[in-house]
Amino acid sequence: MLTTTLIAGLVLGGTYALVAMGLTIQYGIARTMNLAYGETIIAAAFGAYLIHNTLGVSPILGLVLLAPAGFAFSWIVYGLLMRPLVRRSKGGAVLEIDSILATFGLLFVIQGVMLVGFGGNYISYNYMNFGVDIFGATVAANRLLAFVLALVIGGGLYLLLTRTRWGTALRAVSVAPESAPLVGIDADRAARFGFALGGALAACGGVVVSMYQTFTASSGVIFTMKALIVVIMGGVGNLAGALSAGLILGLVETFVASYVSPGLTLAAVYLIFLAILLWRPTGLFGKARR
Amino acid sequence: MLEVENLAVDYGKHVALHCVSLAMQEGETVVILGANGAGKSTLLKSIAGLVRPREGATVDFSSSNIVGLPAHEVLERGIALVPEGRGIFPDLTVAENLFLGAYARRARKDEAANLAMVLDLFPRLAERRQQTVATMSGGEQQMVAIGRALMSAPKLLMLDEPSLGLAPVLVGELFQSLARIGRSGVSLLIVEQNVRISLSIADRGYLLEAGRIVGHGPADRLADDPAVQHAFLGAAADN
Repeated sequence: MLTTTLIAGLVLGGTYALVAMGLTIQYGIARTMNLAYGETIIAAAFGAYLIHNTLGVSPILGLVLLAPAGFAFSWIVYGLLMRPLVRRSKGGAVLEIDSILATFGLLFVIQGVMLVGFGGNYISYNYMNFGVDIFGATVAANRLLAFVLALVIGGGLYLLLTRTRWGTALRAVSVAPESAPLVGIDADRAARFGFALGGALAACGGVVVSMYQTFTASSGVIFTMKALIVVIMGGVGNLAGALSAGLILGLVETFVASYVSPGLTLAAVYLIFLAILLWRPTGLFGKARR
Repeated sequence: MLEVENLAVDYGKHVALHCVSLAMQEGETVVILGANGAGKSTLLKSIAGLVRPREGATVDFSSSNIVGLPAHEVLERGIALVPEGRGIFPDLTVAENLFLGAYARRARKDEAANLAMVLDLFPRLAERRQQTVATMSGGEQQMVAIGRALMSAPKLLMLDEPSLGLAPVLVGELFQSLARIGRSGVSLLIVEQNVRISLSIADRGYLLEAGRIVGHGPADRLADDPAVQHAFLGAAADN
């Protein structure tokens, strides 16, 4: 029972961490808070469902298609919706508030399109739905795969951001956007790239989620909320923080659901969230500045 | 090599620069002297493309007009700026800051040679490559800022108040390094309040007062000029 819960918690936490990394990149690099983030996740989940059920292709191959699609979609959204706001606000708190309002609108547009296309029913598909024995506990293979994918994608992102010049430049923009032009970085272009990269991660998260969870056209909000909690817990713009906070959130949810009551999971999540906000307002790994 | 004409900048109603003109030859070291608020930083920022000047200005660099180009394009043309406050990436390591210094396309070809040159110029940076810049002293951070700018292989290096906040001993070392950079063939345009030491390494100087150029001449003549001594050296000596 304990091992099963632990593994289930890690699987869920891995997904949360993956999903939160995209949001923290969008916020850290592009300085926009994207409330339609969860809708990108669900759209990709529907994409994986279609690819699996109509084409009979593995969702893993779907990733190859859907991650670039998420990138492209977010790239366009930034150009159409965010850039005018960036130009108008000249950065700072105004941009954060404007982006929250604009993406709040976008949330309902995407959700409406998905409701029309797929209806409001819960959807899932059967992929690698057989048990695997790990340390005496039986875990569904699709959950295991979801965890491995989260690790691989998260690890790849980490290498991209720390080992390449392009990734280092994105981190530079997130720590000191005003200094980026001094080394020849086009900060506006970097912001758009960061936003699009976050969209690609959201799409990956959606594919991973769809492999082992049921979802509906209106589930996006839940993922945005959870990602937001993880981002704030881990410290805004902090990848390692998002990773740890995601795992903690997944473990807490699963343990509370198994040992206390499934009805209390959300309450427990918010309790921890509030405790961290009171105890460490800049997040578990955030720095005490600003 | 650099020819600035009719450069005027205003921030809303406040006019920071009135019709400034100046010229530099290749390989020259030129210092711009002026009190706080004279418009020195604005002058460097508008050459670097960080501040947009009023219509009618020309900034000719290596025979092309670069006025109005965004800052990242200006850097590609070969002008690097070390701003006041240094503008480095505090959360990144020394190595990462230098790595990003060579982000520009123009910097890639000679990146290894430029890195060797920077580490030779500032051996301290070689010892501290993996250190986060925010945890370093002011003098070391200034080395990172200058080293990072040199990584972009600039033809013209502009420095805004490089001595600010440094101990007198370090200021001496810093200007020795700058003189070495100047001798290597890089043109230097330095804005300074520390008149004596900046004139000691400069070929020529300009005096900037309330947004206007009010005088210019060879560095040794400016150092002896009673007006300069009265306006700047006197004040510097009092400090």
